[in-house]
Amino acid sequence: METIKVKNIHFSYDTKDVIKNVSFSLKQGEFLGIIGPNGAGKSTILRILCGILKPKTGEIIIFDKDINDINKKILAQKIAFVPQETHFALNFPVEEIVLMGRFPYLRAFQRERKKDFQATEHALMYANVSQFRERPINSLSSGERQRVVLARALAQEPEILLLDEPTSHLDLHHQYAIMELLKKLNAEGMSIIIINHDLNLASLYCQRLVLMHEGCIYSKGTPQSLINEKILNTVYKTEVKIIKHPYKDVPQIFFHPKGE
Amino acid sequence: MNKFVPVILIFLLAIFVSIMVGPAQLTSEIIQLRLSRVILGIFAGGILAFCGGVLQGLFGNPLVEPYTLGSASGAALGGSIGILLFGTISPLFAFFGSLGIGFFVFTVARIEGGLLRDRLILAGVVMSFLCSSLVMIIMVMGGRELYEILYLLMGYLGIIINAENRLFIILMIVLSVVLMLFLYRYHRELDIISQGLETAAGLGIDIQKFSVIIFLITSLLIGLTVSLVGAIGFVGLVIPHISKLLFGPKHLYNLPASFILGATFLLLADTVSRIITVYELPVGVVTSLIGVPFFIYLYRK
Repeated sequence: METIKVKNIHFSYDTKDVIKNVSFSLKQGEFLGIIGPNGAGKSTILRILCGILKPKTGEIIIFDKDINDINKKILAQKIAFVPQETHFALNFPVEEIVLMGRFPYLRAFQRERKKDFQATEHALMYANVSQFRERPINSLSSGERQRVVLARALAQEPEILLLDEPTSHLDLHHQYAIMELLKKLNAEGMSIIIINHDLNLASLYCQRLVLMHEGCIYSKGTPQSLINEKILNTVYKTEVKIIKHPYKDVPQIFFHPKGE
Repeated sequence: MNKFVPVILIFLLAIFVSIMVGPAQLTSEIIQLRLSRVILGIFAGGILAFCGGVLQGLFGNPLVEPYTLGSASGAALGGSIGILLFGTISPLFAFFGSLGIGFFVFTVARIEGGLLRDRLILAGVVMSFLCSSLVMIIMVMGGRELYEILYLLMGYLGIIINAENRLFIILMIVLSVVLMLFLYRYHRELDIISQGLETAAGLGIDIQKFSVIIFLITSLLIGLTVSLVGAIGFVGLVIPHISKLLFGPKHLYNLPASFILGATFLLLADTVSRIITVYELPVGVVTSLIGVPFFIYLYRK
């Protein structure tokens, strides 16, 4: 079953076409990676999928319904979005931030119910941030903050998780923690779309990849079929060497320093 | 939560002080006069601080204040035109000036696509400058009206509530309370917007629609206030910060606290303005004079 179907979408900022005729779909329980060079239109696609931007033409079907016919709060109950980096202008305690993930379920002036606190508690545990619950958000490291943002997304109890380079500013430990967390969520049935600049991580964790290039989809497929020296050379204009991962049958990429 | 108890006690004390303290002897007439100042002070200080808190939340910018969006300058312009034409302050002129400029800002901000929230603030600042220059022209043209325009620009709680305008003022206050309650509905949205527009949109907030609602309602509230008491500065900018320092970032608490603190502060400032010199100072002068050192003290702590 398909959770998201994207059909022939176009998007432009003023006169510059950013997304040109893009179609793809996300199956239930799939872990999909979107990769591609800077400016290829990856982030724009995620923003369109969670209703922040509107495509000029084309269709987006989410659980058999057109995205335009879905109330924004209802959409936020189904799809949660984790931005690349969040700036916290107000220094809320971690617990309050995660509780805000319950916003799509609450009416104005309605108090948080027992199940909202339960979902928050669960999300705090799941993202391994419950030890920080009382700390002000800006006292945390960027890796810890990103886990809090992920916890907030989980408190939304979504069926689909969209992540825009969630590991891009993080150290090795936090990168690994976040990717393993996503893997575990996916194994429990969460459908995931992740933008990842780290092709090795994408290859290692994603079941299927969409490679974007200049606003179009250049290629789609499993990491094994998609990541090869010829394609990467064309799209990224970079000479690389590809070797199989020691523990898993997926390609991993290595730079080739000039003259060596 | 129980921080509200001392804050409310200080508020009641401020009411008591502003009725009791002053150069004149306490007669029933004086009490009546001061009572009308107290009502206006609560109304104006509360609304300005409340709207300041809402706007700082929406724009995610600690320097935004009620006058950034242009409706206050519009009220000053409208009021000045009224003074030029009829020789006295007329709230109706100020109110329509504020509505007119607010509408103009909104139209300018909407001309092209893009994020309305960011365009509103730019259009508001630009229109404020335009209004200020026009007021200056009127001040240069006018002679003896200068004094009244000055009070309109600096703020003045001296409108006397009498049998003629009582209904009008009660109506204004009821309308303001309703509008503020309407804004207060959005306390969660304001919490969330502090984490960026992407986060807000991802949680199901329609930013464009939300910006329009907040802009229209706050402009209306500020227009109402400024047309009655003039453009009292400082309260709307700094009281929300003090409220956040005391009550934390959650708008559920800091917005009502802003209202009470703003009202308290304006009542005290007004009392000072009445006793400090023989002639009454515009209260806007006093709010800045005592507010700034207090704020610096609190911020350093």
